[in-house]
Amino acid sequence: MNASGIKTGLGAYTALFLVFLYGPLVVLAILSFQTGPEGGPQFPIIEWSTYWYKHLFGLTPPSRIAPLPIEQALVRSLGLAVMTMIVSTVLGVTAAQAFRRKFRGSGVVFYLIVLGMMVPGVLVGLGMALVANTLGIDRHWWSTAFVLHVVYTFPFAFLVMLAIFNRFDPSMEEASWSLGVTPARTFRKVTFPLIFPGVLSAMLFAFTLSYDEFSRTLFASGRDLTLPLAIYGTFSVEVHPNVFAFGVLTTLFSFALLGTYAALMMLSVRRAKRVAIQEEA
Amino acid sequence: MSMMAVAEETEMEPVVEKKSPGKALWLLAPGVIWMSLFLVLPMLMMVYVSFWTQTTFTIEPTLTLKSWITFFTSDTYLGALWTTVRIWLIVLVATVLVGYPAALFVGLFVKNKALQTVLLVLCVIPFWTSFLIRVLAWRPMLGKEGAINMILMNLGITDAPIEVLLFSELSVIIGMTQIYCVFMVGPIAFMLGRIDTSIIEAAQDLGAGFWRIFRTIILPLSMPGVVVGAIFVSVMVLGEFATSAALSGRKVNLLGNIIVTQVGSLKWAFAAVAGVVLTILMGAVVAALLRVVDLRKEL
Repeated sequence: MNASGIKTGLGAYTALFLVFLYGPLVVLAILSFQTGPEGGPQFPIIEWSTYWYKHLFGLTPPSRIAPLPIEQALVRSLGLAVMTMIVSTVLGVTAAQAFRRKFRGSGVVFYLIVLGMMVPGVLVGLGMALVANTLGIDRHWWSTAFVLHVVYTFPFAFLVMLAIFNRFDPSMEEASWSLGVTPARTFRKVTFPLIFPGVLSAMLFAFTLSYDEFSRTLFASGRDLTLPLAIYGTFSVEVHPNVFAFGVLTTLFSFALLGTYAALMMLSVRRAKRVAIQEEA
Repeated sequence: MSMMAVAEETEMEPVVEKKSPGKALWLLAPGVIWMSLFLVLPMLMMVYVSFWTQTTFTIEPTLTLKSWITFFTSDTYLGALWTTVRIWLIVLVATVLVGYPAALFVGLFVKNKALQTVLLVLCVIPFWTSFLIRVLAWRPMLGKEGAINMILMNLGITDAPIEVLLFSELSVIIGMTQIYCVFMVGPIAFMLGRIDTSIIEAAQDLGAGFWRIFRTIILPLSMPGVVVGAIFVSVMVLGEFATSAALSGRKVNLLGNIIVTQVGSLKWAFAAVAGVVLTILMGAVVAALLRVVDLRKEL
């Protein structure tokens, strides 16, 4: 069998595959440095410049190209993501905590929760808009869109916490209870530090999914735009490199978020190790 | 689905002594109420409203089949249904074809665990960019003056730019394949990584060639991964509207696009009908995929 030949072939293919995954993003990043305002979103690069980055922040003289409405949208998106993160993490932790015991109907509840991440945003968004219409409720990003964001991110938080609790040794808590510590204090002092890495992952999931979510928001948020809706608005018109510059900046923001997560995770692991060493000593 | 396995695992878990059966209920209640109010109720509302009467700018709760009849007698709507099914099938096949060899390499051929992790992380990193930006990134790639046409012309492969690359069904398919193929690579690589390599070595010792080993061992054992990936990809592609809005120049109308435009013109009842049709289509697809491989047995 010609295994090494096949391996080389597949390796070369995988390299091409990565080019396929990254190519468009690289091109987008290069074109974001196109000169402005006359340079368009295509090659060749007439002159390298940071014009479109300045354009995003309103630092350029007014031109025929309208600036992206990002200022307000950014505040809304961040607020929405933080709200969603808090609520879906709390819901995820409590629901997963309940799943540590066997109970009747757990299968149905499990599927009910997981359904939230499976149903496409366009359907649940439409349904929510219909409910709001019928009840005469105004749609806003902080009300109808927010509850849908939680519907979407809560299952992720729940699954992460379920995985954490599955590997969790309940005897720690039992020891605490048998020493007469109240359940609330036990949760704070014993359970929570143990599940903290999971909570952090659930929070990261919820925040980023909500920050990037737009199909639910599109139907359920009314007039005020969030960031993804501002980008979606550019789809129907001519695209200028300012959208590309914005794409580069959001990507950097996401990486910063990921870096923070990694740092917090490492801190928590290191602390756990230190505690373990102290216990052994 | 791996979720099923999780569900079963939780059910099978040894019962920890029941102290207060009511406690679990209180922990569950917020989540269950939230999902019932904001997921189940909206979906039911959609089904209900699809039978309401549509007037020019509003809907009235007088039950009628009119919107349904309009949907199934209109070429536009039936065309959208057919386009949705067609694009879904093409993208599904494309993600398997594009993703499988990469998954094969990462899951089976890379023995070094660190390199394996690095490759998988490299696949996931693009997800840290906004979905809409990733869709939009295909415009400067595929356009008439785009990167691909430029490269092809500079290499002398084509004389004139290929115009069909952008604002066509092809561009939607390319975009969706790139965005969703990672959901295929992950589950397949996971299943391939679990194959006991001694089986493959035994087959090699008995003189089987690579293709024989692939057909009789690797492919069957990786099928659950393909099905899980197919479920992910199907659910996402069927609910799509942004990629076709960005890359097709309004030439490709999926059911999702129909819903968006109908809501835009306040035709709520029609939008609801399209939504119910989409829900049924999606349910049928997922049920069919679960038939192909018994995931409960395989995972």
